[in-house]
Amino acid sequence: MTTTELSPAATAPSGADQPDRSGRRHDRWRAALTGWLFAGPATLIVLGLSIFPAGWAFVLSLEKWNGFSPPEFVGGKNYSRLITDAEFADAVLHTIIYTAMFVPMSVLAGLFLAVALNRRIRFIGIYRTAIFVPFVASAAATGILSTYLFSPQYGLVNNVLQRLGLPAQGWLEDPAQAMVVIAIMSLWGQAAFTTVIYLAALQDVPGELIEAARVDGAGSWQTFWRVIWPQLRPVTVFVTIWQTIGAIQLFDLVYTTTRGGPLNATRTIVYFLWDKAFRSLDFGYGSAAAYVLFAITLLTTIGVVVYSRRKNMEAF
Amino acid sequence: MTVDTTSKAPKSRPSGWHLLLAPVALLFLLPFLQMFLASVSPADELLKFPPPIIPSRIDFSGFVTLFTESDALLWLGNTVLVATSAIVSHLLLCSLAGYGFARLAFRGRTVGIFMILATIMIPTQLLMIPTYLLFSRLRLIDSLGAAIVPWLSSAFGIFLMRQFFLSLPKELEESGLIDGANRWQVFSRIVLPLAKPALATLAIFTLLGSWNDLVWPLIAINNDHAFTLQLGLANFQGTRRTEWSLLMAGNVVATLPLILFFLIAQKQFVATMTLSGLKG
Amino acid sequence: MKRRITFSVVTALVTLGLAGLTACGSSGQGASSLDKDAKVSLTMWTGQTENSEKILEGLAAEFQKAHPNVSIDVSSGASSTDDLLQKLSAGFVGNSYPDISYAYGSWASELEASGRTLDITDRVAEPDVKWNEFPEGARLTARPTGKKTIGFPAIVDNLTLLYNKTVFDAAGVPYPTDQWTWDDLRAAAKKLTNPATSTYGYAYSVSGAENTVWKMWPQLWQNGGEILSPDQKTAAFDSDAGVKALTFLRDMAVTDKSVYLDQTDTKYEQLFRNNRIGMMASGPWVLYDLKTARTKYGVTLLPGTNGDHQTASGPDLWALFDHHDKNREYWAYEFANWLTSAAQDERWNVAVGNLPLRSSEVGSAAFKTQVKTYPGLDIMAANGANAKKVRPTVSGYVGLSQAIGAAISEVLQGRAEPKPALEKAATKANTALEAAR
Repeated sequence: MTTTELSPAATAPSGADQPDRSGRRHDRWRAALTGWLFAGPATLIVLGLSIFPAGWAFVLSLEKWNGFSPPEFVGGKNYSRLITDAEFADAVLHTIIYTAMFVPMSVLAGLFLAVALNRRIRFIGIYRTAIFVPFVASAAATGILSTYLFSPQYGLVNNVLQRLGLPAQGWLEDPAQAMVVIAIMSLWGQAAFTTVIYLAALQDVPGELIEAARVDGAGSWQTFWRVIWPQLRPVTVFVTIWQTIGAIQLFDLVYTTTRGGPLNATRTIVYFLWDKAFRSLDFGYGSAAAYVLFAITLLTTIGVVVYSRRKNMEAF
Repeated sequence: MTVDTTSKAPKSRPSGWHLLLAPVALLFLLPFLQMFLASVSPADELLKFPPPIIPSRIDFSGFVTLFTESDALLWLGNTVLVATSAIVSHLLLCSLAGYGFARLAFRGRTVGIFMILATIMIPTQLLMIPTYLLFSRLRLIDSLGAAIVPWLSSAFGIFLMRQFFLSLPKELEESGLIDGANRWQVFSRIVLPLAKPALATLAIFTLLGSWNDLVWPLIAINNDHAFTLQLGLANFQGTRRTEWSLLMAGNVVATLPLILFFLIAQKQFVATMTLSGLKG
Repeated sequence: MKRRITFSVVTALVTLGLAGLTACGSSGQGASSLDKDAKVSLTMWTGQTENSEKILEGLAAEFQKAHPNVSIDVSSGASSTDDLLQKLSAGFVGNSYPDISYAYGSWASELEASGRTLDITDRVAEPDVKWNEFPEGARLTARPTGKKTIGFPAIVDNLTLLYNKTVFDAAGVPYPTDQWTWDDLRAAAKKLTNPATSTYGYAYSVSGAENTVWKMWPQLWQNGGEILSPDQKTAAFDSDAGVKALTFLRDMAVTDKSVYLDQTDTKYEQLFRNNRIGMMASGPWVLYDLKTARTKYGVTLLPGTNGDHQTASGPDLWALFDHHDKNREYWAYEFANWLTSAAQDERWNVAVGNLPLRSSEVGSAAFKTQVKTYPGLDIMAANGANAKKVRPTVSGYVGLSQAIGAAISEVLQGRAEPKPALEKAATKANTALEAAR
């Protein structure tokens, strides 16, 4: 690993955590330097590559632009249009429904699978890899498979239902069921994400703690909730935030399975803004929707963070 | 007694977990089976819906055409290059930043982490055009650089590593500091070795993300010498006509390395509980 | 306070970035007078997949050989034609757009309004261009507002009726003919439909996209209706003719249940190939896959109304762009003209299985060979004469299309009645037309 560029940090004593009586200013400055030497390069790349595009998208949200002609400044008009747009309200509702279904399921499924896969038994590598397979498949492949499975006339699922003597369902072509099918397919496709992260996090739980609990006579269930679960909190906050942001931005699977249908029942916010920008050629309106989405996501995230801090989870 | 989640199951007795894990694994292997069967299906069967689950005959012509008539090997090479730079850079920069944000108290820390998180809250669909402008000013358009630079670091990587470091016990580091080690030494000698599972996780997701990245390279790269594998595959798919047998064979070629990589990387997830159990 | 400082820094950075990136735009100065022998490099985005892209690259290489001072960089530009839109937008903002680009006909008026296109009206009027050999619809699309000609036609096609012989034979129904009326189609579809085998007589898209919309236009026109008012400012599809056309489809889909309704436009062609659908309205682009899948199919004209079998066509363009450089302008035009001439078109459009661009190619040996490979291609080419009207090329058409697309899919899924749905769509379309002006 390249260490040369980091040597200034190496020479700086760890001022951050230790209170000092004299030269507090100097110490603070030094702490900032150390901190930013660690955090700076990565942060710079991430922010550098997104601030300009984000700013541009914001300017765009105040304009009327079809992608070809010179843009025209319209102020807050796009935003006021959004407020009265029933289609947008529907999109927000569909997004909330999906997020509420998907996020808890994916966190719990990940936790469960990780615990199940965190043991030394035969074939464990194969089991783990199997869970990982759908995650590797592209949204397009998952979409194609979803239509094979859930087509009302030709799909495998209805076929099985009929063999069992149960009524066939409309699935992807029923406005009331389509979003559920999409949530199931995303859960299946992304279970590996939360599973792998939890699996790695489980490795950080010190064996001594578990041993100690054992010695105290705790059963495995108690050991899990009292010893292991608290250790997993920072990672739980992470996967919750991450899956929420991802769920709020659902697009790919909708595009590959239903294109927002049937009868717009699976139109999410991002599908809505994509449709406005690239099909209606109304980039300003699409950008305004993107910024409303940004605000919603930001508020949700702050909510999660404040909650976890209040609960003193020390996760953020 | 309930199912023992932390047990050190004696090796002689096959674990009851197989009963649960085997069917689940089968369910998750479904898409790969389907993809694989599709890749060896004759072209006429690929064009039908619903397709036969088992192809009537095995046909490798998709693979043959892929390797003889398209630049798939070149594209594969490009993708490997992109993914390798992404992983190396991610492991280095994101673990540093994650540690900084998790353990060091400094000015701008909270704002910094919040801004990094904020960058992913705007849907990428709308950021493509300005990002294209930015990259064309950086003279990166139409080169492999356009695919590499966005993957040098990521909000995901920084945030993931930060949360992992937060969950490590502080005591180890504190004893290191008391022994006179500085922050860098604590990080490189004490923290990093403990973070192997986290680093493996980061490597897996970085590989996956950079390997499968499609939407951005689609906009940024025209030149087919700088195509990544996904980009090449996307070119088999037209608005009105799709070269299915090439696409299916290409999908298998694109997916297999990822699955193999995972099979190797997941060995990092060694159950410490079991280990400590054996020790005790 | 800490937060405020950070925020102002960010604002400053954004402003700087915006100013810096957008200001230094057009720097290079192009040639102001024409010098045919000067070195010129052109960029061309084709929006094509592997095969046809390779053919175009070969043709460009040939052109460069004949004109050594010209170099043409040919690339697909984007993986699909849809994605070209983003590329062109980004290119316009960043001043890095090509000289020649493939473009959907529906983008034509937006492209013209961008002010970046060339106007080749005078040049295509020269007799040796034989501009009139292009179908009328394609010519009108290349001149979207009637003022400027922004490029050459690239691909022309139209809607015909394709039928699956296996499905017809199984149900013992005689094949469609070019004398059919829509009622004949409805009666046949009813007989072909068989819930036990999930077989449908006809297929229709309910995605609400343009694919849903343009397949209804022929019936609207045959009933004497129009899409727009004569002044092109308001929607006129909610006329009696429109209601009649949509009611017909609704009766088939809802009453007879003889129509497979495709939510995503991705399945009905596959189902047709798999002998689950008896008939569909489609064009030459499906023939290649039908041949590969060895489906037994036939092609005929769309059914008619009182003997009127008119259809809708979908021309795409080679748009030519202005770089304020006389030499580039000259050679971009020359290349596009050469590429779309009968001799070259046989080697591209005809060779990849599209319809020939020019009426003069229909008798050519190359086309006859293709007809042998893809039976029905000749009927599709001849059907070009039935494309008497073009889809509107006004800027607001996209919005209009979305409004009526939503209406059609609601009605066919039994959620709305034809007349009120069309009236509601017309109101929406008028707003879109107004906003686009």
